[in-house]
Amino acid sequence: MGGPIAVLHPLDRADGSASYKCPSTGSNILGSVNAPIELPGRRDALKPEEATIEVFVKPGTAPGGVGERYVEGILRTALGRVILGREKGYPRRGVVITLAIVGGESVGRGGSYLPLLPALLHTATLALLSASVPLSVTLSATVLAVNSAGEITREPSAKEVTTATSLHVLAFTSKGHLLLNESEGTFTFDTWDDVYERALAICHGSSTFGSDGDVAMAETTEGQPLDGIVRDTVEDHIHRDYAWKIDAA
Amino acid sequence: MASTTAAAASQPAAPSLALPPSQFARLQPHAYLLAHLSPPASSQQPSIRANGRAPSQFRVTSANTGSLTHTNGSAVVRVGDTTAVCGVKAEILHTEDIASWSVSHSSSSPSNKRRKLTNPTEKPGEDREDGSKDDEDDDNSYIEDFSLLVPNLSLSTGCAPGFIPGAPPSALAQSLSHQILSLLHSSRLVRAEDLEIWYQRPNFGAEELERHNEGEQMDVDAGPEAEEANLEAREIKAFWVLYIDIMIISLAGNPFDAAWTAVLAALRDTKLPRAWWDVDNETVVCSDLVSEARKLSLRGLPVASSFGVFEADAAAGWRAVVIPDAEEERKLAESERKGIQRRWILADPDGYEEGLTQERVSLVVDKTSNGKVKLLKMEKNGGFAVDRKELKDLVDISARRWDDINQILQRC
Amino acid sequence: MNKEAPLSIAERDFILDALREDVRLDGRGADEFRPLKLSFGEEYGHVKVQLGKTSLIVRISAEVAKPHDDRPFDGIFNIAMELTAMGSPAWENGRQGDLETYVTNVLDRVIRHSNALDTESLCILKGVSCWTIRADVHITDYDGNLIDASCIGVMAGLQHFRRPDAVVKDGQVIVYGLDERVPAPLNITHKPLSVTFHTFDEGKLVILDATRKEEQASEADVVIGMNNAGDVCYVSKFQGSPVDALVFVTKTTVALEKVKHVNGIIDKALQADLAKRSKGGLAEQARAENDRPVA
Repeated sequence: MGGPIAVLHPLDRADGSASYKCPSTGSNILGSVNAPIELPGRRDALKPEEATIEVFVKPGTAPGGVGERYVEGILRTALGRVILGREKGYPRRGVVITLAIVGGESVGRGGSYLPLLPALLHTATLALLSASVPLSVTLSATVLAVNSAGEITREPSAKEVTTATSLHVLAFTSKGHLLLNESEGTFTFDTWDDVYERALAICHGSSTFGSDGDVAMAETTEGQPLDGIVRDTVEDHIHRDYAWKIDAA
Repeated sequence: MASTTAAAASQPAAPSLALPPSQFARLQPHAYLLAHLSPPASSQQPSIRANGRAPSQFRVTSANTGSLTHTNGSAVVRVGDTTAVCGVKAEILHTEDIASWSVSHSSSSPSNKRRKLTNPTEKPGEDREDGSKDDEDDDNSYIEDFSLLVPNLSLSTGCAPGFIPGAPPSALAQSLSHQILSLLHSSRLVRAEDLEIWYQRPNFGAEELERHNEGEQMDVDAGPEAEEANLEAREIKAFWVLYIDIMIISLAGNPFDAAWTAVLAALRDTKLPRAWWDVDNETVVCSDLVSEARKLSLRGLPVASSFGVFEADAAAGWRAVVIPDAEEERKLAESERKGIQRRWILADPDGYEEGLTQERVSLVVDKTSNGKVKLLKMEKNGGFAVDRKELKDLVDISARRWDDINQILQRC
Repeated sequence: MNKEAPLSIAERDFILDALREDVRLDGRGADEFRPLKLSFGEEYGHVKVQLGKTSLIVRISAEVAKPHDDRPFDGIFNIAMELTAMGSPAWENGRQGDLETYVTNVLDRVIRHSNALDTESLCILKGVSCWTIRADVHITDYDGNLIDASCIGVMAGLQHFRRPDAVVKDGQVIVYGLDERVPAPLNITHKPLSVTFHTFDEGKLVILDATRKEEQASEADVVIGMNNAGDVCYVSKFQGSPVDALVFVTKTTVALEKVKHVNGIIDKALQADLAKRSKGGLAEQARAENDRPVA
């Protein structure tokens, strides 16, 4: 199984953008961030002390509905805690995050958005990084399905999702906090505990956190930790952007 | 600080602290709540929320069912000052009006639809009896594929100060509608077999027809071989579609719990009239006898409980949050050693507390007959405070809440 | 709302003065398109169009639905386009602007109303089920000429798309998965494309495929929709100052040439993609055959 493919700044017009493709779930997301930006239409909703975060999810082959509003709410709450909206230049302005589902299957009415959620979170994080929005931490997320036999599948395919008894999305910050958990289906707390362990291993590997906050990446049975993929994508991009400088040195 | 506010309350004329508590609460909401939760050690006062509840205490909940006459089932649920009204209206949907009814996908699912239609001998009803996994999957796909449950939540004008007349459904209302819909789907609360309207081919005679229509709820005691014979000539002709309308008439925090409890109570109250396919008129006919109407047989009793996390620092600070993390971790460890509490998990936050909490946890639990706790939904978002250990405690609190709600719903 | 920041006077004059000397800022001739690049995704009907710095993604999807009561023999075809903040920071999410309404309208007329997609061929069972084809246009980068770019995208998508095969058996529609039966291409009756011109200096200067800045500096626009055979299916002069009628006559010839050229590019891209797919398929088959004796 190949790891996800992420590209930073594929778009020209937006302040920051990223595309993210997860081969196992088949989702392909394009995200853009405009920040900080004036939001003239929302003057009454702007907060005087911090940035207003707006998330818009555009489904690929269907008109938007209540499901999109719901997932937008989840993303806004999660990212709102990560974006440093009080930095200079941000209060009273907006951070507009637009995520378009450009590949993979669409979510039906009342369908679960959970399989797409990690990809949306990763795309948003990368796009925010690409737009140089100040963040307190980065995050990595994964989706796990538990079937009736109790087996845990990482990043399940559409078919595995339909046969699963419960679905879990967990997002961890780069410092190892559980930032977000969304679980649905029928399960017990012990099952969830196993899921948690597995998810932590997927996102961070079995690494230990150094005292300076630097994370030692270790390749494990789970392949490269997802946290590392975010990091590598950014590093690659910086490497390309500063090629002239590095070459000169 | 709680003691000073208390003093101010008893002596409103005191010149040193001329601010009555109600104004202090508005001006410095964060400090006000913090003062209540962490009284100085010297004052001997217990840590209590500004609304007088203990951190894990829910508000007084009451439920009343069947108050709306023109619905098939209805309920009014009050959780403190949050009030939700829910009405369930059943409408008939003919299978010929469903575009995807006569369509089967040969690959994606070994389609139950096709099996039932083209191949009725393959006992669509039998797995119902043993309640096997198949049956559950069948159910689920009917309800989801044909949208047989249509919840819609509206936050009515004036339920809270921010809601003005004529505005389109807010993002909050839309996402609550979606949450209710997806919980209805994932908890499989309603059984599809309750919503099916069948047609019995006439060659079995009138009494057979009677029997099978009642057979929906008494299939357990019906002999399996008689059932089998019946099935040969059965065909689904229509479905009941349940329109579940929820109106929050007063919003004082935690709308989801109130709305979901209202949905649950209303569905428990819902009665569907006996309906069958009339072959001569080519239409569905309903019986108007109240005695023939039957209740829905719901799967379990999922109970929702929500929590908010109140943080002593950061959240309300006007200073920029610059380095929240590595430092935070250290502080957390330190303060825990010193026994200073920095975070409080508040059950069933009211509107005032919701404004002060960023991190939310929402749990839906059910208990099986032998008292085992099942989780149906666990959401946590917006902060770093709640981790594994905290979630475990919250599951226990939610399980206790289940007992309360169960009692309340049994009574009405 | 939903307005781009206006050009400064200096910028506008610069663009105009240059045009008067027959120079465009990117060095193109007046009747020249920006470089056009088409690429297709893994799924059928997934097209990425890059026209200069304008880029967009079109996704075509098919679904079985009930036909409209008054047209039981017809399938349904919709073009959906929503401008999001991704394309341009000036567009607000979730609010429809004038541009969106205008472009959707032109697309509808050029492609849908000219019956480029034969909707009758989408009928599966009279009055009971038919295919609904939906084209979603996602604008990812906006640098002018949304109409032509979307037109190219939708037409290329329709030609690239394959819908699952469906048969009727005892009044029962069976849809076969893409891997079970060879999916069927859509029935395209003709290939209309639009060409948008912008006029300056009271209609004396006319350019095609304007960039965003040229659009902002222009006085009026003229859209001509036509197919390879030279049938005109749409002509509009929507807004701005009057344009000499002769412009329509002379520019129709230019448009025909451009439509043929662009359709050529689309065909080439489609063929390249087809070749890639069949090669991939063959390689897969060969591998499967090699595997068999081992297993």
